[in-house]
Amino acid sequence: MNLHLSSIIVQTARNLKHTWGTQLMTLITVSLSVLMFSFFFLIFLNLKQAGGQISKNIRLIIYLNNDIPAAAQPQYIQKIKSFNKVDKIIFKTRNDALRQLRQQLGKDGDVLDDLTAGFLPPSIEVYPARDLVSLAKIKRFSDFLATLPGAQKVQYGHKWIERLSYFTQLIRLIVLLSGGLLVLTATFMVSSTIRLTVVSRNDELEILHILGASKSYLQMPLIIEGLLQGVIGSGIGLLCLYFLFNYIRSRFTGPGLMSIIHFSFLPPPTTAAILIISILLCTTGSIISIRKFLRF
Amino acid sequence: MNVQQSKTAIIEFIKVNKIYPPDVIALRDVSLAIKPGEIVFLTGMSGAGKTTLLKLICAMEQPTKGLIEVAGHDLGRISLKNMQLVRQKIGMAYQDFKLLPKLTVYQNIAMPMEITFTPPKTIRDRINYLLDTLNLHGKADIKPDKLSRGEQQRVAIARAAANYPPILLADEPTGNLDRENSDLVIKLFAQLNRAGTTLIIATHDPVLYKSYPAQTLELSQGQFVFKDQATPKTATGE
Ligand SMILES: Nc1ncnc2c1ncn2[C@@H]1O[C@H](COP(=O)(O)OP(=O)(O)O)[C@@H](O)[C@H]1O
Ligand SMILES: [Mg+2]
Repeated sequence: MNLHLSSIIVQTARNLKHTWGTQLMTLITVSLSVLMFSFFFLIFLNLKQAGGQISKNIRLIIYLNNDIPAAAQPQYIQKIKSFNKVDKIIFKTRNDALRQLRQQLGKDGDVLDDLTAGFLPPSIEVYPARDLVSLAKIKRFSDFLATLPGAQKVQYGHKWIERLSYFTQLIRLIVLLSGGLLVLTATFMVSSTIRLTVVSRNDELEILHILGASKSYLQMPLIIEGLLQGVIGSGIGLLCLYFLFNYIRSRFTGPGLMSIIHFSFLPPPTTAAILIISILLCTTGSIISIRKFLRF
Repeated sequence: MNVQQSKTAIIEFIKVNKIYPPDVIALRDVSLAIKPGEIVFLTGMSGAGKTTLLKLICAMEQPTKGLIEVAGHDLGRISLKNMQLVRQKIGMAYQDFKLLPKLTVYQNIAMPMEITFTPPKTIRDRINYLLDTLNLHGKADIKPDKLSRGEQQRVAIARAAANYPPILLADEPTGNLDRENSDLVIKLFAQLNRAGTTLIIATHDPVLYKSYPAQTLELSQGQFVFKDQATPKTATGE
């Protein structure tokens, strides 16, 4: 086994020597494709996570014309609950609203002293159950809440959620595109590089064949060549992503988007999957070329 | 050399025809049987079909008609895997050498041994021995095209002999060699033959086949000329 391996490694090294220029080009292309794909995938995963986080903590506020008397509250609760499961419902009177605002202002609260409670609308805060995560569902719920008697308008920061959701969709599209690109570059670039190796070594392969070299002896070095492209190419790509990730994180810490969203690297299983899939793609590329161009 | 010997033959041809497209008849109804350990000189003028016959044995060419058996395998119905195993048993020194210009002398000779996964140390020892024996000291790391024709020829022979093949086919092995180097090659062949190698040497050089007691098969226009081979041992006379 050891013997076979050393002989096949010698063959592989010989191959690489003959076409190293193209090999390098392919390697760079594979690396870039992996980097691009995993970069967008990383963003996508983080956005999705952030979206989920925000949806989970969502709260719908129904602004009302008038305070709801305590006697009428159970009726509201029942109506709301009949449409969707709810974790919590809080009724806020005009006075509650004023108290809350004063609390928020703290020391500056005394500017409110001259004001009567009348200028702040009463409201109902609805905390939907955790399962309400999709934007469409939230929207429907919000539309329903707007039909409650006395409801003026309903707010849930939908502009912000919508924008995030559209952006996530866009990134998803880019992920798919760059994934397709990765498939193309990995398979076809590697395949055409292996073809070059086969052509440049054709005389040698032919003589090895008539000397009695087995099929696997001729093919193994070419398959290993594709495999190496995959291992090294995707390895470099992911390593670059890791450094890029750390650079971005160190640059953009502090207040802002990054501090709201917990920005995390690809989980190890995902990283492993990208690595393995790239290796498989590159190996497939070399097998395609062997099938097509190795005549023995 | 008749078909009855087929039970023990290591190489057997039955009514083999080879026609190169469009219509060059290189071999015509050739039958032969060669037993393990035999030495056979294949003679005849150039164009007689010697090279074609050797290429059929190592399956570099396929017969147009007829049956060829090598080491117990019908080459017409052999799997690729077995074909390669048969080929590993054959060392052939080609008339045009077929050395790889990109590889060194050492790497060229190492090829058949690498194919059969010979340990590197064994390969090194064997190559050093062959280079010494064939008067090629110091040529190991040179590319073949820097060598003279005679030196290239001996490299081709060294490659054919490297694996102690059970069958060694040599096509005009002394075509480019002077007397002394020819003798070195003959000595190497004799040594292999004593160890059991079956030798088939194609040559149109009378000095070679007259100097060595072995049977000769003479080809003429793709057919055997039968005068010489009735009694193999005396065939080396006049
Ligand atoms: N590849 C080929 N294509 C066409 N004709 C060939 C080919 N190889 C050999 N021949 C012809 O077959 C005949 C036998 O050739 P060859 O076996 O090389 O003879 P020898 O080795 O005895 O000189 C010759 O007429 C030669 O021109
Ligand atoms: Mg010839």
